[in-house]
Amino acid sequence: MRVILRKAAFYLLTAWAAISLNFVIPRIMPGNPADNLINQFHGKLSPQAVHALRVLFGQSGQNLWQQYIGYWHSIFTGDFGISYAYYPSSVSSVLGQSMFWTLILVTVSTVLGFVLGTALGMLAGWKRGSWLDSTLVPVTTFLSSIPYFWFAIIVVYLFAITLKWFPLSGGYAVDQTIGLNAGFIESAVNYAILPAATITAASVGGWLIGMRNMMVTTLSEDYVRLAEAKGLPKRRVMYSYAARNAMLPSLSGFAMSLGFVVGGSIVTEVVFNYPGIGSVLFKAAQAADYPLMSAIFLLITVLVLLANLAADIAYVFLDPRTRES
Amino acid sequence: MAVHAALAEPEAAADPAQGAARLWRRLLRSPLTVTGLVITLAFLVLAVLAPWISPYDPSAVSDTTLAGPSGAHWLGTTQNGQDVLSQMLYGARASMAVGFGAAVLTTALSVLVGVTAGYLGGIGDEVLSLLANVFLVLPSLPLTIILAAYLPHSGSLGIILVITVTSWAWGARVLRAQTLSLRKRDFVEAARATGEPTWRIIVRDILPNQVAVIAASFLSTVTFAILTQASLAFLGLADVTQWSWGTILYWAQTGSALLTGAWWWFVPAGLAIAVVGTALALVNFGIDEFINPRLRQAGIGTKKAQRAQVTARRRPRVRKGAPAVRRPAAAPFTQDSTDVILDVRHLKVDYVGDGGGRTPAVDDVSFTLRRGEVLGIAGESGSGKSTLAYAITRLHKPPAEISHGEIHYTRPDGSTVDVLGLDDAELRDFRWEELSIVFQSAMHALNPVLRIGAQIEDVIVAHRPRMTAQERAARVVELLGIVGIPADRADSYPHELSGGMRQRAMIAVGLALDPEIIVMDEPTTALDVVIQRQIVEKIMELKDRLGFSVVFITHDLSLLIELSDTIAVMYGGRIVEQAAAEDFYRRPQHPYSRGLLASFPTLGGPRRELTGIPGSPPDLRRLPAGCAFAPRCPAAFDACTTRVPQLVPVPAPGGGTAQAACLLHEPGAPNGLTGEQSQSTDELATGEAR
Repeated sequence: MRVILRKAAFYLLTAWAAISLNFVIPRIMPGNPADNLINQFHGKLSPQAVHALRVLFGQSGQNLWQQYIGYWHSIFTGDFGISYAYYPSSVSSVLGQSMFWTLILVTVSTVLGFVLGTALGMLAGWKRGSWLDSTLVPVTTFLSSIPYFWFAIIVVYLFAITLKWFPLSGGYAVDQTIGLNAGFIESAVNYAILPAATITAASVGGWLIGMRNMMVTTLSEDYVRLAEAKGLPKRRVMYSYAARNAMLPSLSGFAMSLGFVVGGSIVTEVVFNYPGIGSVLFKAAQAADYPLMSAIFLLITVLVLLANLAADIAYVFLDPRTRES
Repeated sequence: MAVHAALAEPEAAADPAQGAARLWRRLLRSPLTVTGLVITLAFLVLAVLAPWISPYDPSAVSDTTLAGPSGAHWLGTTQNGQDVLSQMLYGARASMAVGFGAAVLTTALSVLVGVTAGYLGGIGDEVLSLLANVFLVLPSLPLTIILAAYLPHSGSLGIILVITVTSWAWGARVLRAQTLSLRKRDFVEAARATGEPTWRIIVRDILPNQVAVIAASFLSTVTFAILTQASLAFLGLADVTQWSWGTILYWAQTGSALLTGAWWWFVPAGLAIAVVGTALALVNFGIDEFINPRLRQAGIGTKKAQRAQVTARRRPRVRKGAPAVRRPAAAPFTQDSTDVILDVRHLKVDYVGDGGGRTPAVDDVSFTLRRGEVLGIAGESGSGKSTLAYAITRLHKPPAEISHGEIHYTRPDGSTVDVLGLDDAELRDFRWEELSIVFQSAMHALNPVLRIGAQIEDVIVAHRPRMTAQERAARVVELLGIVGIPADRADSYPHELSGGMRQRAMIAVGLALDPEIIVMDEPTTALDVVIQRQIVEKIMELKDRLGFSVVFITHDLSLLIELSDTIAVMYGGRIVEQAAAEDFYRRPQHPYSRGLLASFPTLGGPRRELTGIPGSPPDLRRLPAGCAFAPRCPAAFDACTTRVPQLVPVPAPGGGTAQAACLLHEPGAPNGLTGEQSQSTDELATGEAR
């Protein structure tokens, strides 16, 4: 329990750092994003919108400390101002609509990628030097060196354009209305298959190689040798002795890998024109929509931190040594 | 394992200044790594030469729009008729520049932070580590995007800086951990003691030892930076008028290359990124295997590993099937017993090197273990005693290989088993049912994530499938009781037990199926003297009560003399002397045994001078011709350097059973070491010190 509390405190600290970074960056960067945006709209912005921009980017005539307090206030009230890429929607409502698409897509494909990669890595490590190992490792190395978005382009080209097995882009068929009805869900699943498969395939490699190397290292531990000496069935040695221990570092390295996978997934969405955060980010970047970009950065950071906390809790359950008080 | 460690040691503890040179040699030996290096270099050369070898100006528009690959345009053209090949070549410049530029800066920052934090320690370390951990969990791509977005039209330099800020943490963390462990190593302590300035210690002693880690971190940053740059350019966050592989993809996406089917427009750029990434990863595999030599070993599950285990000729085994006969009630063992339970003949175990060279770790070892006997095997580390223990149970792993010899086990009912001829399933039955092992360090030999009870129970589940859960639980409690562990400890994890308790738990695991033989590989070495005593007494008590036979391996000769019936001394992979413990103690027949006995005090018995043995154990890879002990032997003569002595019976006045492998026992040897003269050579061995 204490371990989890300490981890939670660390993630809180990290969240604070990220949020503060988001406050500091626009203020130390050259140029003046707020003025750029206000000029772009040629005075068509409402006074509230102008005020929100000033709060976000400074130059509101207040000193830095007051600005910082105001900034935190808008964070807690969820008031990130107006989106310029989706004018006149507010940033919160744009994110509210796109968030769940990304959340479901990325969660499902990350979990799939992790499970598949860890399972295959376990086998490859167990059979180090076999044909399985010597095929899987180069293939997945190549797969994981491919930029996610390019992989997505190839997948779209092959399966959506050439073979026409799956829809080309979007999140659901236009003749469906969003809601919990069979037609929409079926269509959403159909549209999600290609992006999910892309992210899963692209992320499998990293997990696989990490797990495989840990597995090989673990196999020379004394406890694995003892398990063999005990005449246990191979499965028991592989699962309960080798893999169970080998996957612990994989899980504690989850943080770093997750950031990478999420980053890749976001860019992947752009290729599929998927109605999630990635596509929104792309549009925001095109329109220099700073409020939207900052909010997306914060949202992703917080979600990644939560996922990390979940991984840490799982770790505590899997490794009795951390349960010690 | 000990021998293997001894063999691997010189590689790990070599002169620190040669780290880079050794890394290069290692890398250039692996074909995959060389392939990776060649590909990377090829791309670098293309990037440098781009302005001279590009057929067209990458930005020049022409009338041949969206043309497929042809003689004029090898990689086709874009929507505006630009030449894709020229764009690729120019693009390589920007992508490689960002990749390597960011890697140089990132690595420099990682080294600076990591080494500083690790070397200085204290509050500075805490702060820097916390900072690194925070940056490690911040998702880097969104952060990069934010940073890049605020740098309007950021060129390559801007991107490099942004990537540096977001990716230094991983390398810093790894290097900090390495520095921490290096700082405690002898050569660094020594440098500090001589008052060398800190920066010199870091540059001369610490950094050269981190070459491999720094290189690995550098290469993965190159890949990461190329990928990140491509993502940013693809999102339109980099300068889209400067050609890079990412920019090509950006224009392909905005130009709807997908919908028009212009695959030549978007395939080459992504492929190039993937190929460079794969090439760098291949080099990194080589570095990983250099850092972690365990990765070079073959896995357990492969056929190759199974086959490699025994290359000695196999004999048709004796078919088992006779009903199990309980062994006779524990009768005290006597030296004249002929009831052999384990018969090892001419066993040879080699370590097969990368180049096919063979290093014998156990050479021509023969011995018998009789029912109820405690056979003690003594030897310095690197003498082959642990390898022997593993080979008996066929637990040795590649590169170790049994190349010669026979091992026969006799059941209580009299049927004989050829251990080297057992197939997988039979071997699994043989292990633990007939023979179990107690490992050197219970700390490492017990699975840290399973409860003690479960680690005893799974043996029973595997070998006694008909037992019910209640019966198994009762047996676990019974076993814990036998070794003196309270029953409620069955639910404890290994880390929750004390060292002595863990070793008892190990013994309980070893007793689970009531085996005939227990091999104990230094079972008490890791414990303090008091606990050591308790464990040894427990083992002897259990042996008398349960009647199993023991092979006890240790370097602690005094312990061995006390508890063994028979003692075998190993040196350089061979048994050099074997005798009843009593005879051995009174009349050691081999100069090495004599040296060993002279290197420690015994409780009781006559006082004698402690002399020790000059020199150090032999390097198994470069064993001297003739007797391995000759270079250290005070009684060596000419023949010792040319002939390998065989283990032969040595007549003793009391009718002892000693065997020794020493040329001094041959007729005609100078100072012939026959039994009657042993007194005089005793003086010879100790005389040197006077």
